[in-house]
Amino acid sequence: MAHVVLRNLVKTYGPHTAVNNVSLTVNDGEFVALVGPSGCGKTTTLNLVAGLIPITSGDISIGDRVVNDVDPKNRDIAMVFQNYALYPQKTVYKNLAFPLQMRRLPRDEIDRKVKEAARVLDMTHLLERKPRELSGGQQQRVALGRALVRDPAVFLMDEPLSNLDAKLRVQMRSEIKRFHQDLEATIIYVTHDQLEAVTMADKMAVMNGGFLQQYDSPAQVFNHPVNMFVASFIGSPAMSLIPLEASSANGRTVLTGEEGWSIELSPHNARKVERSTTKKVVLGARHSTIKLSTSPVPGAIPAKAYTVEPTGDITFVQALLSGAVVNISVPPTMPVAPDQPIWLEFDQERMHLFDGATEMALEAD
Amino acid sequence: MTLATRLADAPLRENSKEPGVLQRAWINRADYLYVLPSIVVMLIVIAYPIYYTIELSFFTTPPSLQLRDKIFVGLDNYSLILTSDVFWRVTANTFIWTIVSTFAAFVLGLGTALALNHEFVGRGVLRAILIIPWVISAVAASYIWKWIYHSNFGVIGAVLVSLGITDRPPNFIDSVSTVLPSLIVVNVWREFPFAMIMLMAGLQTVPDQLLRAARVDGANAWQSFWHVTFPHLQGVSTVTILLLAVSNFNSFIIPWIMTGGGPSNASHIWITHIYELAFGRQRWGIASAYSVLLFIIMMTLGYFYVRALSGAERKDRG
Repeated sequence: MAHVVLRNLVKTYGPHTAVNNVSLTVNDGEFVALVGPSGCGKTTTLNLVAGLIPITSGDISIGDRVVNDVDPKNRDIAMVFQNYALYPQKTVYKNLAFPLQMRRLPRDEIDRKVKEAARVLDMTHLLERKPRELSGGQQQRVALGRALVRDPAVFLMDEPLSNLDAKLRVQMRSEIKRFHQDLEATIIYVTHDQLEAVTMADKMAVMNGGFLQQYDSPAQVFNHPVNMFVASFIGSPAMSLIPLEASSANGRTVLTGEEGWSIELSPHNARKVERSTTKKVVLGARHSTIKLSTSPVPGAIPAKAYTVEPTGDITFVQALLSGAVVNISVPPTMPVAPDQPIWLEFDQERMHLFDGATEMALEAD
Repeated sequence: MTLATRLADAPLRENSKEPGVLQRAWINRADYLYVLPSIVVMLIVIAYPIYYTIELSFFTTPPSLQLRDKIFVGLDNYSLILTSDVFWRVTANTFIWTIVSTFAAFVLGLGTALALNHEFVGRGVLRAILIIPWVISAVAASYIWKWIYHSNFGVIGAVLVSLGITDRPPNFIDSVSTVLPSLIVVNVWREFPFAMIMLMAGLQTVPDQLLRAARVDGANAWQSFWHVTFPHLQGVSTVTILLLAVSNFNSFIIPWIMTGGGPSNASHIWITHIYELAFGRQRWGIASAYSVLLFIIMMTLGYFYVRALSGAERKDRG
């Protein structure tokens, strides 16, 4: 296993910059998820690491070697693709053996490694089948196996679960996580599903528009998003972002909504707002940090329930505040109906404040 | 079939799980009605000529050359054909012509398709130029090639002489030993663009991810081709080769216009020979017997063609 370092990585296609100055370090044995919406540059980044497309500028090191101009086959990487990319005319055995044959390993060693990989992934009984005779989950396991037999320094996975149905995806998610733990493998994993990233990765790199937005542990990204994009992308349902107007008078700082209501900020949050470049401040709150009451509470913000979505053990209520949709979770026992008046209280300790102009998170110091 | 008949038929189908052929035909009678017009046309323009050819193959042309006086000879025509030297000569020519042309056109088409599958400046123009032999008239091409090959005025001969490679322009199509290869060259030139187009279409369906996977797995360009691209082209290759083989078996224009089968039958293939027997020498019976034999061979090829096609379809679905 090895660490991977990207330094000021850039990939341009004509005038379009797909990957813009991305730098990050994947430590030995770490599981890193590249996550972001479609077209954010995450798959391009992975292909650059694999060597499948040439880089425009910057450096990629795998282990202690700069691999900018090294052929994919000599980078000591293995890749798992979204559509599994199994060779359709070859049996599972031959699919697994292929990368070893290409490396001219002795026949008995190939046989030993293929059988070992099949045993680890519990697919010994599938070895003589063709890919089309396998289910999606089995095909994905063969694709993992083909990466595994190589014993590569780094595993690169390009949305490996997105072709599976929801139930199988959850199951394969834990299998890949287990795979990572057992092998102590260095894995770079591309996904557009933030839930996959949060549940599996040691660290996640959130990308948007070719830029690396934030690179940190899932907990850190979840609790301390650096900007509004990360805040809205990570977490389900998304963090509510409410545009407000900040004002200070007599040492008190308040945020005022379009409807005329206002929140007085704690001294800590007030210090954050002082750093804003504009009067426009965006309040971010996750659904679980907003308290909903069905009767008037002093200091709470009056609103109206817009939709009510019971999901079983939790019910999501949506309300409109200052033109933004606000998600609130309530116990399923709480009687809330659409169009019913409700009162909302924001938790000062757990609210996020963003600069309305730069969209960056505001910090107290 | 309307919904009403479908519903009315439902109990009938439930009663007998596997209805007989006639019963099924009756159930689907409307479907047969729809294809009836084309069946009638086919019977007139295809089935009757086939029947008449088979019938003629048991007769011989009378001295008067009038077909109404034709003389019944039983299987004599067939035994005459199978024991004649010309038959074996023409058959050998036909097989050499078909197999070599098909193979060469396929390999050349595959090569150009692979070359054109890469991005480079002028690719579109080159592709258009390479298609020309296939889209121009075969008759025109045959006359042009006849001139190119001409032993006194031909371009190739003139170039060879001026380069000092030979003293005299070679006899391409006037010599028994070189005529068939020379015609095969023209035929390959004419039909390789067909293979190229088919294979280019096939190449576009090779999944990019598979090629990437092969690169990561350590395959070089040749290994990627052999393990990923070529297996993927199997279906389209089979169809292309069969279509080429059928069309080569039925070739007529190039050999007929360029040599008329000569010199001394050296470039006769089945179709030109049949044509000459029937319309040149009025030997209707022998020509018909030849045609029947050819028909049997073509139907065998056709059988494999259909089987390969449906096999490819099954693979796609699987």
